[in-house]
Amino acid sequence: MPTPLIETRALSKRFGTRAALDGVSFELHAGEILGLVGANGSGKTTLLRVLAGLLRPSAGHVRVLGHEPWLARERVMERVRFAFAPPALFDNLTAREHLVHLARLGGHAPLRSELDAVLETVGLAQRAEERVRAFSFGMRQRLSLALALVPRPELLVLDEPTEGLDPLAVLELRALLLRLRREQGVTILLSSHLLSEVGELVDRLVVLAEGCVRFAGTPAELVAPSVRTVLVVADAARARAQLATHGLEARAGAGNELELAADALTLEEAARLLGPGELREFHRRGAGLEQALLARLSAERDA
Amino acid sequence: MSARLESLRLLRSRRPLAAAGALLLFLLLMLLGFWTYAESRTNGAAEFRYTYENRSYFNGLVFALYAFYFAFVLLLPVFAATEGGAQLAGDTGANTLTLVLVRPLSKTRLFFTKFGIAALFTTLLTGAFLALTLLVGLVLVGWGELRLYPGVLQMADRPQHLAQAEALRRFALAWPAASLALLAPLAFSFWISSLAKSAVNAVGTAVALYLVLYVIAEVHFFAELRPYLFTSHAGYWRELFQERIDWREFGRHAAALGGFTLVFTALAYRRFRLREEGG
Repeated sequence: MPTPLIETRALSKRFGTRAALDGVSFELHAGEILGLVGANGSGKTTLLRVLAGLLRPSAGHVRVLGHEPWLARERVMERVRFAFAPPALFDNLTAREHLVHLARLGGHAPLRSELDAVLETVGLAQRAEERVRAFSFGMRQRLSLALALVPRPELLVLDEPTEGLDPLAVLELRALLLRLRREQGVTILLSSHLLSEVGELVDRLVVLAEGCVRFAGTPAELVAPSVRTVLVVADAARARAQLATHGLEARAGAGNELELAADALTLEEAARLLGPGELREFHRRGAGLEQALLARLSAERDA
Repeated sequence: MSARLESLRLLRSRRPLAAAGALLLFLLLMLLGFWTYAESRTNGAAEFRYTYENRSYFNGLVFALYAFYFAFVLLLPVFAATEGGAQLAGDTGANTLTLVLVRPLSKTRLFFTKFGIAALFTTLLTGAFLALTLLVGLVLVGWGELRLYPGVLQMADRPQHLAQAEALRRFALAWPAASLALLAPLAFSFWISSLAKSAVNAVGTAVALYLVLYVIAEVHFFAELRPYLFTSHAGYWRELFQERIDWREFGRHAAALGGFTLVFTALAYRRFRLREEGG
């Protein structure tokens, strides 16, 4: 098993008596896109700041590219780019000056063509020579992303990257991140308080609530408990009785629908058990990501 | 490379312009003060050039020395404290410190780059103002020899007389000496800046504390405390305008100021290196 790019075990961070992170464990492997999701105040930004070596962990283990970030921040930053929210920039510098001078801090002297390409990618080519004082929040967000791309990192960590972006820009950002992973093998960790914004993009999710990991897995795994097999049949009562003879318990749904557990039977089995002409439609139906998460958190609370 | 970024940021900020504007305004006020004073002493007979109450005494060199003396007491240290206070705390408050720290740049290098740029700014501002006072003195007041008398600004215990060339040489020496004296309030404000989370708090606190320490250093009641205050040593550069410079005393004050600067810088550096960013 290759060494993960990010690894935390039982990571905790306290501010006085308040635990901002409490026993957080997760891994991020090369080539993955991982979504870090949680409500405001759940500990996402604290976790990212610990990963960036800006905050010292109170307890637990954390490694980024094999280094302890608090002790080896510079080594980590040679290969990782962080873009924190809200995007902080130098108001009196232009977009291009930001790219040039911040890249030089790492000893990288970017070519003009490289900068032009990045500015074009984030849609700031026409505003490159303007001081950022006049930039809107969305433009600052775009420049912040551009800064994270020069020089090209091995691991990209984005804090709330879609905040302030219009819907089209959000779609463009998703496409860009997927392209970065596909074409350049960039591993990506992105945080958001909106599950719906990252659900379609990520391979895996880590959900934080009150500083604890409440879920870690794929979006499909999150939704799985809510998935049901839905059969639309000619006669619901007859079909239900027929299934019962085979030990399958179906619940009556709307109209002529019957609901069964997700893995209760396949399409072929349903058609065979119900007989000719009975089965009209066969679906797998699950809750949305957010509903599934809410159901999961609610069930945990009740338990 | 961080020096280029920090220099560009300083040049693009309003601080140099604000400092230059305030010093220029102060110089105009000094000119006006000199002229109106001379007018009152000569019963309205003074003209703007060469006609102060005593031409051999009130000349461009005296004007330059007085202007620099007054600016040094308050304006220049306040600018130094403002610059120092704005550095770390300003970047913390604006979150731009994070922008830099997520690059492969050590905190040590960042700290000393910032301190170096602020020290260079203070030194250049001091030199530029000194040169300007001399230029204004030459053009608008007129040249002569430098004569100082006891009682005036406590600059001399007995009458002092420096020929023009020698006086100019002393002004040249006063630049690095005064700049060294300003490093102490600069380092002090850096320390405050490393403790604060916003530029306003840091600058306000640093300036207020500087003023308190300056007043304490001047008040007779606190005479016993003077050796332990950096503000007590700051005016040591005035020794350069004595006919015979007491280099031993001069060196003692310079060493004390250097010591204060080192201690404040070390405190600021330690705090900055160990502190967490955010949270």
